[in-house]
Amino acid sequence: MSQKVAIVGAGITKFVRRAQETGKELAWQASKMALDSCGLSLKDIDSVSLGTAPDAFDGVHMKGEYLSDGSGGWRKPYMRQFVGGGTGVFAPIHGWMHVASGMFDTCLVVCSEKMSTCYPHPQGAFLTIFDHTTEQALDPTLIWIFALEYNRYMETYGLTKRDIAPVSVKNKKNAMDHPSAQLPMDITVDDVLNSELLAWPVNRLDISPASDGAAAIVLAGEHAAKRITDKPVWIDGVGWNLDTAYWATRDLSYPRYVEKAARMAYDMAGIKEPRREIEIAEPYDPFTYKELHHMEGLLLADRGEAPQLLADGVTQRDGDRPMCPSGGALGVGNPISATGLMKVIEIFLQLRGEAEKRQVPGNPTCGLAQAWGDLMQVGTVVVMRR
Amino acid sequence: MGLSERIERNVDLSYFEGKIPVNYVYTYGLGLEKFFNAIKEKGEFLASRCPECGAVYFPCRIFCERCFSEITRTFKVPGTGTVYSYTVCHLDMDGSPKKEPDVVGLIEVDGTEGAKFVHFIDAKPDKVTIGRKVKPVLKAKKDREGGIFDIKGFRQV
Ligand SMILES: [Zn+2]
Repeated sequence: MSQKVAIVGAGITKFVRRAQETGKELAWQASKMALDSCGLSLKDIDSVSLGTAPDAFDGVHMKGEYLSDGSGGWRKPYMRQFVGGGTGVFAPIHGWMHVASGMFDTCLVVCSEKMSTCYPHPQGAFLTIFDHTTEQALDPTLIWIFALEYNRYMETYGLTKRDIAPVSVKNKKNAMDHPSAQLPMDITVDDVLNSELLAWPVNRLDISPASDGAAAIVLAGEHAAKRITDKPVWIDGVGWNLDTAYWATRDLSYPRYVEKAARMAYDMAGIKEPRREIEIAEPYDPFTYKELHHMEGLLLADRGEAPQLLADGVTQRDGDRPMCPSGGALGVGNPISATGLMKVIEIFLQLRGEAEKRQVPGNPTCGLAQAWGDLMQVGTVVVMRR
Repeated sequence: MGLSERIERNVDLSYFEGKIPVNYVYTYGLGLEKFFNAIKEKGEFLASRCPECGAVYFPCRIFCERCFSEITRTFKVPGTGTVYSYTVCHLDMDGSPKKEPDVVGLIEVDGTEGAKFVHFIDAKPDKVTIGRKVKPVLKAKKDREGGIFDIKGFRQV
């Protein structure tokens, strides 16, 4: 590749169940904040990478085109990225390509989502991601298939819901310190276990909410980055990987596609021992068990070991391997694409020592953000260092 | 033939029907909420000008897409304009003939330095001309709900 790429600025709106703003307006708010944070204006931006999840959420076909004005795409090289829930980490990977290739010196990466438009609930929009001949007639929902995965994960390693529920307690508590958070809460494991049962074993407090919100970052090539800021955070590794479209045929206990994405990013970043070198991570946590499942796929825990690390406090903000210090999708909220980029921004802020009340101790130098999506089959990973 | 060609008859095992079971509830957004409120409450048309680069937007917006500045102020324009282009639509979305053809116009809005707006023109198809002056026709105040059909259309003057 022809140049190193750094994150030099970031912005994020509040995540809410229904925003009065349109998706365009949310995109502009986050983008403007990101530019202001590093003293740039739109004319300093060479290209734009937009991430946004299904068009069906906003009820706007060609949502990439629709969101272009709020994303700074006017008369610029502009592209939309989409890999379902994995989009929020894929959009910066795509922006990285724009800059690493040497084609551009700066790239604005924007992720905007407006799920509240979809009425009565965006879950209905997911129906047609399932095979229309063999699956749709069974009325599948995303919760339904993640419940199958959650159950198989527990069965494989002899776990109980009580082993997994503390993820919700931790992340919602962490979110109490995040200014964008939609569902910050101080709750107990029993609160999670006693919350409304949606689809065994998934209870209400095991799951992230539907949200409206946007996030944005500014990427810059090596020389530009050093001109713009004293504290660039370098994207040292990127990886993404897709498993079979026949979701029912996969090994549900282990996300091999996440491992492949992580290994790609680790190789690029020269990481040999992820558990020692990745000091802080934001694995994608739309459901409680997914944080644990993804820690294992990311090789940050042995298979089946993540719940023990959780129980031992290793993944708390002040633990040896903090996970989702932001509060994650469970606590900050889940405006699909914006969630993944929120996670990238959290690692950016943590590595700069600017995460305020959320700051993990120990001056971390290397961290990772990951998202997951499509029909629970894509893993997207970025490794960052200061 | 063309748009009106349809397949009405089911054929054994060749297809089945499906749908996405959602509706959409859109917010106006901060920009358009102001625009439609002004029409509904006062019968006024609001544009906005970027304080940095001077670009003019109609309907009013809250940010400038060219330079990303925030736009907080709006200004009134009369709502009149000029026919920039038009078409006459004879078929509906299913390809069936409309009872009366619709005349759809692109209106260059006065006082906006060339901003354009799309709406119906209330005129016989053979009477529409590019370059003609038009004025908006609003619903009676009691019937306005805050939406695009508070403006019934434009009439040539
Ligand atoms: Zn401007």
